[in-house]
Amino acid sequence: MKKTEYIKLIDTTRCTACRGCQVACKQWNEMPASRTRNFGSYQNPPDLQWNTWTLIRFQEHVDKNGDFKWLFRKDGCMHCTEAACIKVCPSGALYHTEFGTVGINQKLCIGCKACISACPFDIPRFNQETEKVYKCDLCYDRLKGGQQPACVLSCPTSAITIGEREAMIDKAYRRLDQLGGKGVVYGDKFVGGTHVMYILSEDPAVYDKLPVKPRIPASVILWKNLFKPFTLIGMGAVAGMAALHYLIKGPHEVHEKKEGDE
Amino acid sequence: MSGKIQNMVRVTDPIERIAHWLLAGSCLFCLFTGLGIMFRSWEFIPELLGGLYAVKWMHIFSGVVFAFALAYAFMMWKKDCAFEPDDAKWIAQGGGYLWKTNNLPPVYKYNAGQKLFFWFVVVFGALIVLSGLVMWNPTAFPIAVARWSYALHALSALVIGSFFVVHLYLGTIGNPGTFQAMTTGWCSRAWCETHCPRWLAEREKGSSES
Repeated sequence: MKKTEYIKLIDTTRCTACRGCQVACKQWNEMPASRTRNFGSYQNPPDLQWNTWTLIRFQEHVDKNGDFKWLFRKDGCMHCTEAACIKVCPSGALYHTEFGTVGINQKLCIGCKACISACPFDIPRFNQETEKVYKCDLCYDRLKGGQQPACVLSCPTSAITIGEREAMIDKAYRRLDQLGGKGVVYGDKFVGGTHVMYILSEDPAVYDKLPVKPRIPASVILWKNLFKPFTLIGMGAVAGMAALHYLIKGPHEVHEKKEGDE
Repeated sequence: MSGKIQNMVRVTDPIERIAHWLLAGSCLFCLFTGLGIMFRSWEFIPELLGGLYAVKWMHIFSGVVFAFALAYAFMMWKKDCAFEPDDAKWIAQGGGYLWKTNNLPPVYKYNAGQKLFFWFVVVFGALIVLSGLVMWNPTAFPIAVARWSYALHALSALVIGSFFVVHLYLGTIGNPGTFQAMTTGWCSRAWCETHCPRWLAEREKGSSES
């Protein structure tokens, strides 16, 4: 069976911040609303939550020429190919689906929260009551049924589209040409390529909470590629050396004083 | 007095033995539940104990016991395990375990190897406890602290786990007559002359009047 990798392309230059995707996501995934607070922005709720898997971030930006711009970015799981969350997940709750996306199986999640600090995009959120982690799964159930994710379907300006990997990367660069090269394609150059990509109108560094060079944290690589295997290797090697010592040198016997000492 | 008691010396008191086994028990429980969480090849441990979620909490509670046992053991043994100049000579000769030596400095209560083990457990035990506390609620800490706690926790487990194997070997079959120091608390007089001659001499000098 040939694996079809999908990429969801978010063209921020087309986004009007209607937040239809945010609502569609909640509706399809049956996520309840939480009390929110106004912090002087249309951005609502203020951040991703266990029950808010995608969020339009509103940002006021003045560029080098003194021009004011209102930037909208749909935040959510980027579905990395080299996914730090999957690397640290001890239970197998986080996994790669046949579409290359990062699925999550809450039945397996033990709420260890390791994925929360490992994620370079700060996406997974913890629910205190269920003691489990939640995040976007790119509507895995819909993809399996041959349907588009809810956010894609809801988007009135076609800012969000989905398709096969190569075709979408192609599409992103064609759109960049259309924009006269004024913009950035984000997502194909790091963590093995993400399965959510952006067309950004500004430099990535301009955007709130968007890492310029996301990567699996060095601490995770040290932990999983070095310390973890060496725990068993180290204990095994020491046990082997002890056994050799016992066979070659023998135990360290106590020097009893001979005869008549008792 | 019976002959048996006359030739035996009480080397540990009950409090020391209880503290030792509390520390050892919680440490080993943490070690094996930790391996069960970290390695798919050790899946039998969560399967035996009722699943990964249960094991997560067992690991945390056992870690709390370990923290208190470690703090107590530190207070109790830090004096006996303070290094002295002769320890360097002991270490330079590998404690006589690796090649033939004939001028090992006489040991007081614990030899330099035991002291090293003690300090490794204290230092990496403290690190594993502190990093474990961060991992319990990582979102309450700055992201860098949370991230490095996981790496530090794994490194400490690697160090403690490896030293544990050495300790197990030297405390049992590697040194016959030693294990009972942590069971009955009585070791033979000859054992004391081999392993802690200065302590024995001081002890016998002190009690000769009574």
